[in-house]
Amino acid sequence: MIGRVTDVPLRNDPASRFLPWTVGLQVLLGTLALAAAMLMATVGDTWRSSLSGTLTVQVPPPETDAGGAAEPNGPRIDAALELLRKTPGIASASLIPESRVAEILEPWLGSKVLAIDLPLPALIDAVAAPGAELDIAALSARLAQAVPGATIDDHAVWLRRLADFAGVAEAVSLGVILVILAAAVVTVVFTTRTSLAIHRDIVEVLHLIGAQDSYVARQFQVHTFRLALWGAAAGFALGAAAVAVVQFYGGRVGAGLLPDLALSPVQWAILAALPVAAVALVVTTVGITVMRSLGRMM
Amino acid sequence: MAEKTNSANAVGDIVRFENVGMRYRLGAEVLHDVSFSLPAGSFHFLTGPSGAGKSSLLRLMYLAHRPSRGLISMFGRDVSTIPRRELAALRRRIGVVFQEFKLLDHLSALDNVALPLRIAGAREGQIRDHVAELLRWVGLEGRIEERPSTLSGGEQQRVAIARAVIGRPQILLADEPTGNVDPEIALRLMYLLEELNKIGTTVVVATHNESLLERFRHPYFHIEDGLLTGPFPADARK
Repeated sequence: MIGRVTDVPLRNDPASRFLPWTVGLQVLLGTLALAAAMLMATVGDTWRSSLSGTLTVQVPPPETDAGGAAEPNGPRIDAALELLRKTPGIASASLIPESRVAEILEPWLGSKVLAIDLPLPALIDAVAAPGAELDIAALSARLAQAVPGATIDDHAVWLRRLADFAGVAEAVSLGVILVILAAAVVTVVFTTRTSLAIHRDIVEVLHLIGAQDSYVARQFQVHTFRLALWGAAAGFALGAAAVAVVQFYGGRVGAGLLPDLALSPVQWAILAALPVAAVALVVTTVGITVMRSLGRMM
Repeated sequence: MAEKTNSANAVGDIVRFENVGMRYRLGAEVLHDVSFSLPAGSFHFLTGPSGAGKSSLLRLMYLAHRPSRGLISMFGRDVSTIPRRELAALRRRIGVVFQEFKLLDHLSALDNVALPLRIAGAREGQIRDHVAELLRWVGLEGRIEERPSTLSGGEQQRVAIARAVIGRPQILLADEPTGNVDPEIALRLMYLLEELNKIGTTVVVATHNESLLERFRHPYFHIEDGLLTGPFPADARK
């Protein structure tokens, strides 16, 4: 039946002309929303995995005296490292090299940050032992006593907020997908009922010469399949291109600021399943709508 | 009225109506207490003035409408108890020539005639030969790819008849089949229907064409104001 003219002349229906556009736009939006949801899920997972006990200790350089001379920061760093390493629950503590600090600051201060002689704090990366529950407040107090001015950045607080944000963004994206699907279903139900009303006489003739409801429904489904396939393919192509562009530019911006904004092959496969699912949903909706409408006829 | 309600007579009846009434939605009743039966292989005319109820009676027979009361039995089955999904199979045993043809304008003559076969799930390879042969039989061999809108009234009528008989129905119902054609074509169509009757098809022709009734001597029913009488023998007409 795919290759021949359908018994119900649906091709020229006003509703038919808009179906590829409708499906295409919905698949485009769905592709973007699903990609966003999957990216947010990945980012959230990355941030959540970072929650497990990494601390950054800042050891600022000592204040200069009245004559402008500064004491070396080395002894203060060593004291902080020693205190951390002796703290139960800290698995390791190491000084982050100045070159790495310069890399981290480069987006804000430029590439010659080390050359301009700024009083940069020393950064110590401390990793908590698996399962250890550190009393950050007590550790901060002891550290401040041993090394005046030293502070602890507990990543957990802001990482948790970021992870929560990613979770909300993911949920919103999935909600958008549900809204898009609902809109697709409502649109298709409306257009199908309109087509049925337009072709009521022909449908009656088909019935009277022995057509089952399923035969009539198949006429509508075949027609819709052709249109929806084109729309879904075009919508997905545009959506996938947009995702690829975002992924490319996100990768460039990333460099220490953002987790890797790239979809995995599995996620791309899930994304590619969206237009297939959309076409299946539309065709199934058409079938159910026609069957239910015809069920009210003799 | 021919009432064959005992089981011995009912065995050979292809259609049986008992006290059937019909109304459209909530309107007035258009058929009242209609009772009759049609033996398999019979040929009947259905006469009556316009608006008397001929088309409504045929609609009940080709299962386009349910009765508002009474019993209709088609092929020995009570229509009111048949599940919807089984109606289609029953309708395939009924051929209908509609008064206004009801051909599908976007399909060729061949595809129109092929519809019942496609609906019945026939293989595409067999359909074309079978349909082309039938269209030759009704004299349309050169026009099988034409759309109905390019055919004359008589040609459309023949396409409609071909579509009605392609599935070899057990009963053929024709609603004013000669109403839109010239007398010569009307005669050819009637000969065609008689040919079908000779090979066993039960035929009912609704008409108010007096000359046809004079020429083709078959028993007839008469309907007026929704009341059916008959069947009367052909020679009962004056």
